[in-house]
Amino acid sequence: MRGLNTALGAAGLAAFLALGEAVPRLGLVKEAYFPPTSRIADALGTELSDDTFWTALGDTLTGWALGLAIASTAGIVLGVAIAVVPYLREATASTIEFLRPIPSVALIPLAVLMYGTELRSVLLLVVYASFWQVLIQVLYGVQDVDPVAEETARSYGLGPWARVRHVLWPTALPYVMTGIRLAAAVALILAITAELVIGAPGLGARIAVAQNSQAVPEMYALIVVTGVLGLLINVGARTVERRALAWHQSVRGEVAV
Amino acid sequence: MRRLLAALAAGAFLVTVSACGSSGDGTGSDKSSSGGTTKVKVGVIPIVDVAPLYLGQEKGFFKKQGLELEVSLAQGGAAIVPAVASGQYQFGFSNSTSLMVAQSNNVPVKVVSNGIASTGVQGKDFGALTVKGDSPVKSADQLEGRKVAINTLKNINETAVRESVRKAGGDPDKVKFVELAFDQMPAALDSGQIDAAMVVEPALATVKSQGAREIASPLVDVAPHLTVAMYFTSTSYEQQNAAVVKKFRTALAESLAYADAHPDEARQVVTTYTKIPAAVLAKVTLPAWPADPDRASLDALQKLGQDDGLFKTAPDLDKLLP
Repeated sequence: MRGLNTALGAAGLAAFLALGEAVPRLGLVKEAYFPPTSRIADALGTELSDDTFWTALGDTLTGWALGLAIASTAGIVLGVAIAVVPYLREATASTIEFLRPIPSVALIPLAVLMYGTELRSVLLLVVYASFWQVLIQVLYGVQDVDPVAEETARSYGLGPWARVRHVLWPTALPYVMTGIRLAAAVALILAITAELVIGAPGLGARIAVAQNSQAVPEMYALIVVTGVLGLLINVGARTVERRALAWHQSVRGEVAV
Repeated sequence: MRRLLAALAAGAFLVTVSACGSSGDGTGSDKSSSGGTTKVKVGVIPIVDVAPLYLGQEKGFFKKQGLELEVSLAQGGAAIVPAVASGQYQFGFSNSTSLMVAQSNNVPVKVVSNGIASTGVQGKDFGALTVKGDSPVKSADQLEGRKVAINTLKNINETAVRESVRKAGGDPDKVKFVELAFDQMPAALDSGQIDAAMVVEPALATVKSQGAREIASPLVDVAPHLTVAMYFTSTSYEQQNAAVVKKFRTALAESLAYADAHPDEARQVVTTYTKIPAAVLAKVTLPAWPADPDRASLDALQKLGQDDGLFKTAPDLDKLLP
């Protein structure tokens, strides 16, 4: 089953690459604006042999990882706190619904004013966007706690910390994992967008330079890199999720099929 | 339980607050001098225009003045002006109209030196109004009712194109201006989405290689040697660090003169911070790099900008310029 899925995935990708080669070659779009796959692969090879490319990749991954870590920690801690204290929940609900839909990129002028074109500008945007993903999932997760289990724990005399540890956390964990997986993808998108728009060092800034320089194949090569990065992050997040929730019926159910 | 969670919540809040900022050093970092050298951050756009800065750094003109440059690449003036005004950068590079708009909005900016100027030669400038090779449009006045792409509405290139249309005897109000990034103009012009494009290098070289025709040199039409962009600082930095600003100006003047005299080296240094393909770079028309802003051209630019309603209040050039 698994092998078949991988094979199908690879076949799909191969077909896509072949299409990318054929469309410009057949003259459906101009090669100058949409180079064939082989030209992009060529440019990618040159990129990979360039030291500054790896520095840029490192910058992007640093922004992504730091941003995700801050957003996840803050999202989990605040989410649990808000969900457990009823007053806090009432008091913050409308504020959260107000802040959540504000697009992170709208904060670019603020980020530039505060931090210029440094890593911290990127972090501001990344944390703002991915924080909500985690927070909302945590809120749902905590809400899902079985009241009977909670009452049982109470009547057996479990302290607050023990109840969080043994009742709340196991229920919320699948939600938290979903939140972090979503946040991981959002964080990558925002890290690259911030670099692209603000000019903070990283892959995004490199894409922008290639754009300004009329270096079209190089630009697509870098875009391919960001795509691969997104793929790897998603695969990685799913693996972590599966490991962390190995005991949970949703994962066990998946294996049984 | 309540008490514990309240403590948790307070702790989490502190974590978020400290994580999201306020380790900031704001303007304090600009005096980080070591052994007689002053470190300054310069915000520029990665384009041909700023080649002299890189060349001057390579040739040691800044070191000679005791300056250590840290060049930051931003994607546009929109990021550079606020970063300089708030002290994130000590110096920046921006086009003349943007600086005038900033000045008229009381943003505390002060010009340090010239950045680039138009070559002043019709048909041989680094920016041009171009149409597709087979376009029926022969001169700028025929753009009435047609779509013309410029990189930013209500900025220097709109002023310049409007002046070209006016000079050719047309009515600029009848031209439909659309906003498009320079790098997207070649494709848009080629596919007929726009009738004309105001492009600058290196996109101009690409457009020309597609067989496009130049119908005007708008930057030359504004004034013979138009000061297109300038290096600037914030007024507070200028007041508190007059000596550093003076040194920066001296080093920059030397760099600009050197770049002007050695176009091949200027072209070469461009490859270190852009990805312009060698074949394109060889065809790029370099701008002129005089050290001083041309006051007459800036007066002309301001007047045109004012007529076209770019400024809320008239910018004070005496305050803006050195």
